[in-house]
Amino acid sequence: MMLGYIGRRAYHSIISLVGLLTLVFFLTRLTGDPSALYLPLDSSLEAREAFARLNGLDQPIYVQFLQYLQNLLSLDFGQSLRQNRSAIDVALEAFPATLKLAFVAMALATTLAITVGALAAARPRSIFDRVAGLVSLAGASTPDFWIAIVGILVLAVGLGVLPTSGTGTGWHWIMPIAVLMLRPFGLLVQVVRGTMISALASPYIKTAHAKGMKRHKIIFGHALRNSLLPVITVAGDLATGLINGAVVVETIFGWPGIGKLMIDSIIQRDFAVVQSTILVTAIAIFIVNIAIDLLYVMLDPRIRY
Amino acid sequence: MTINSFRIIASAMVVAGFASHATAQNMSEINIVLPEQPANLEPCGTIITNVGQILSRNVVEPLTVIDPKSGQATPGLATEWTQTDPNTWQLKLRDGVKFQDGAAFNAEAVKFSIERMTGGKVNCSNIAKFGAAKLTVEAVDDLTVEIKSDTPQPILPTLLSVVMVVSPNTPADKAVNDPVGTGPFKLANFTPQTVVLEGFDGYWGKKPDITKATYVWRPESSIRAAMVETGEADLTPSIAIQDATNPETDFAYLNSETTALRIDAGFAPLDDVRIRKALNLAIDWEGLAQLFGDDTKRASQMVVVGINGHDDKLAPWTFDAEQARALIAEAKAAGVPVETEIELIGRNGIYPNGTEAMEAMMAMWQDVGLNVKLTMLDVNDWLRYLQKPFPEGRGPNLLQMMHDNNKGDAAFTIPIFYTSEGSYSTISDPALDKEIAEAMAATGEDRTNGFKAIFNKVHDELALDIPMFHMIGYTRVGTRLDWKPDITTNSEIPLANIGLKS
Repeated sequence: MMLGYIGRRAYHSIISLVGLLTLVFFLTRLTGDPSALYLPLDSSLEAREAFARLNGLDQPIYVQFLQYLQNLLSLDFGQSLRQNRSAIDVALEAFPATLKLAFVAMALATTLAITVGALAAARPRSIFDRVAGLVSLAGASTPDFWIAIVGILVLAVGLGVLPTSGTGTGWHWIMPIAVLMLRPFGLLVQVVRGTMISALASPYIKTAHAKGMKRHKIIFGHALRNSLLPVITVAGDLATGLINGAVVVETIFGWPGIGKLMIDSIIQRDFAVVQSTILVTAIAIFIVNIAIDLLYVMLDPRIRY
Repeated sequence: MTINSFRIIASAMVVAGFASHATAQNMSEINIVLPEQPANLEPCGTIITNVGQILSRNVVEPLTVIDPKSGQATPGLATEWTQTDPNTWQLKLRDGVKFQDGAAFNAEAVKFSIERMTGGKVNCSNIAKFGAAKLTVEAVDDLTVEIKSDTPQPILPTLLSVVMVVSPNTPADKAVNDPVGTGPFKLANFTPQTVVLEGFDGYWGKKPDITKATYVWRPESSIRAAMVETGEADLTPSIAIQDATNPETDFAYLNSETTALRIDAGFAPLDDVRIRKALNLAIDWEGLAQLFGDDTKRASQMVVVGINGHDDKLAPWTFDAEQARALIAEAKAAGVPVETEIELIGRNGIYPNGTEAMEAMMAMWQDVGLNVKLTMLDVNDWLRYLQKPFPEGRGPNLLQMMHDNNKGDAAFTIPIFYTSEGSYSTISDPALDKEIAEAMAATGEDRTNGFKAIFNKVHDELALDIPMFHMIGYTRVGTRLDWKPDITTNSEIPLANIGLKS
C-alpha cells in the first residue's frame, strides 16, 4: 500500500521535474547572451562568435533544447561555463554542505521549539510564556543578515571566541546554525504554542487530569502528540526552504552551499549549473515531502494512503 | 547541573573555541581572503580579477611584465625583444627555466601557449586584448621565438603581458583547473572553499619569503576586514571605504579604474558641443567627491597616471554653473532643443555609492536647466547600452561607466571609446579616426604624444564624455606582512613580492 503510494508520487514527481526543467531551460535563455558576461567588455565580435560556437550557443534555441534532452537521457547534464567541469558535479559537490547545515539547524530548531512551545502553552500568560513569545517573535522577524553580521562583530571580532566564517572546525558551525535556526525556531514556537493550547482544552485532556495522570505526561505524552501534525507541516515547509539554500548565511559565512551557487549561476548565466542545481534541489524536496507524508501516518494512525 | 558547573563548562568551551579556531600556522604561510570565488583556474583567464590575483606571476608567468610606475613592458619569461618589421617581433627567452611538471621552458612551449590561446578551442578571456589580430608563432631556435601579426603591432611587448606560458603538457583543446606554469608557486589544491599554492623548489628566480598561500573568499567587505583584524587572514584586497578604518593596516591605492559618463552624441541636444560642455561644467565636483572618499583623484581622461598616453597637463573640468547655464542658453537661442528629456542610465552596484552619485548629478543638471531623468539598470540591461549594437529606439542618453586600463598603454582605451568602429563609441568622426589610427601605428614619443593630443581633443574640443574620478582601492594588510598594494593589485598579487616582518 505504502510502496504503491511512493511509486505514484515518484511518477508524478518525474512529470513535474520534466516540466520544471523545460521551464528553467527556456527561462534561463531569456536572461541573455552569456558571452556578454564571460568575455571582457572590449572583446571583438569574432571572439564573441567563437565563444558562442564553442559552447553551442550559436544554434537555434529548439536545437539547443533537443540536444539538452538527448544529453539528459544519457545523464549528461552539461558543462559549467564558469568552472570548466561537469555541471552536475558542481551541484552535487555543493549540496551536502547545504543539507548538513539545514538538517542540523532544523533538528535543533524543531526540538527546541517543541519544548519551549509546549511549556509556554502549559502555563499561558506566565512569565515563561511571555518571554518565550517575545523571543520567538523577535527570532521570526529579525533579519538574518543583521544577526549574522552583529554576531561576527561581537563574537569573532569583539570577544574573539568564534571564527568569523568558514567551515574548518566544529566552531565554524555555531554561528551559521544559530542564525539559520532562529527564524524556524520563532515560527515553530508560535505554532506549537497555539496547537498545544487547543489540545490542552480538549475533553480527553480533562479526562486524563481527572484520572490523576501526572502533568508532564499529559503535556508531552498526550497533548503534544496530537498537536504535532500542523507543526510537521510548517517544519516541512521551512525545511524545504532551507534545502533550497540559505543564501544569506552561505554568503556571509562563506559556506559553500547550493543556494549561493544557484544565485551566482543565474547572475552569471551558467545555464547548465542553474539546471543542475534546480534538478538536485527539486529531487531533495520531493524526498522531504514523501518523508513528511510518512511521518503523518506514524503520528496519526487514522491517515491512510 | 548547578549554575557554577554550567559556568565552568561554558568557560572551558570558550577557551577551547579560542584555542581551536585560531589554528597554529607556520610563520611563512599566509592566508588571503578574496571578494569572489574564482570560477576556474584557467591560465587563459588571468585578466579576470579573481583568477589573475591567484595565478598571475604566482603559478603562471607572462612573457613580459608591465612596470606599475612607468607602464612600460619589462622582462618576464622573455628577456629581450626586437621589432624586425611592423608586423614581426623576435623574442629572446629566459634560459634555465623549468615548468612545475619538469617540462623544459623553450620556444616550442611559448608557441604552444600562444596557439592554445588563439586556437579557439578554449574559452580565453586574455585573447580579447589582441582584438582581431591573427598571430603566427615560429620557434627560431630553442630560446628564440618569432611572432607575426596580420596587422602592425607596435605594442606587442605590452600585449605579451597577458600571455601566460603553460606547460606543453596542458590540454590544448579544453580549459583546465590545474594549471602548470613556471611561477614560484605550484597549485596544491583547488576546492569550492579554498585554493592552496605551495612553493616550487625548481623556480628560476629568487626564492620567495612565503612558502604557502591559502586563498578563501567572502563577498562581504566587513567580514573580510574582520578576518584580517582577527588574524584569520593576512591580506584582503578591495575592502569598502567604510571598512578601511585602521590606518596601520588599511592602504589606499590608486587602482586603474576611471569612472565616467559616456555622452551619446548622436542625438539632440547631446549632438551640440555646448550642451556636452555644460554637462561637465554643471557638476559640483568637490561635493560629489565626498561620496568616494578623500583619496580619489579627479579625472580629465579615461586612463590613469602611468598609462602611456596619459597627459598630466590636461586639467579636469571645474564647477561653473553660471557658464553651464550660459552655454545652454546660447544653444537654445541657436535652435537646439535643450528641453528634450535626456536619459541618465546608471548601473546598480557598479561601484560604491554609484546610485547616489547619479542622483546627485541628475539634480545638478536639472538645476542648470537640463531635463535629465535617471534610470538604474542591472548589469545585463546596462550592457546593451554599453556595447554596439545599441538598442533600437533609444533617445539622448548618458551612460554611467567605469573603465579599467592597467595594461600600460592608451591603445586599450582610445579605439574602443572614440573611433567610429569602437564598440563603446557613439560618434563617427573621420578626422578623429585618422588621428587615432596614426597614434596606434606610432611608437615611442610619437605614440605618447599622439594619444595625449587625442585625449586633449576629446576633452577640450569635442567634450565627448564626462570623466569623473580615478578610483581608489583599499586593501587591508595584516601587521606581519611587509607589502603595499599598487595599480596592479586588482589584477595580480605576486606572492614573491610579499615580505615577512621579522
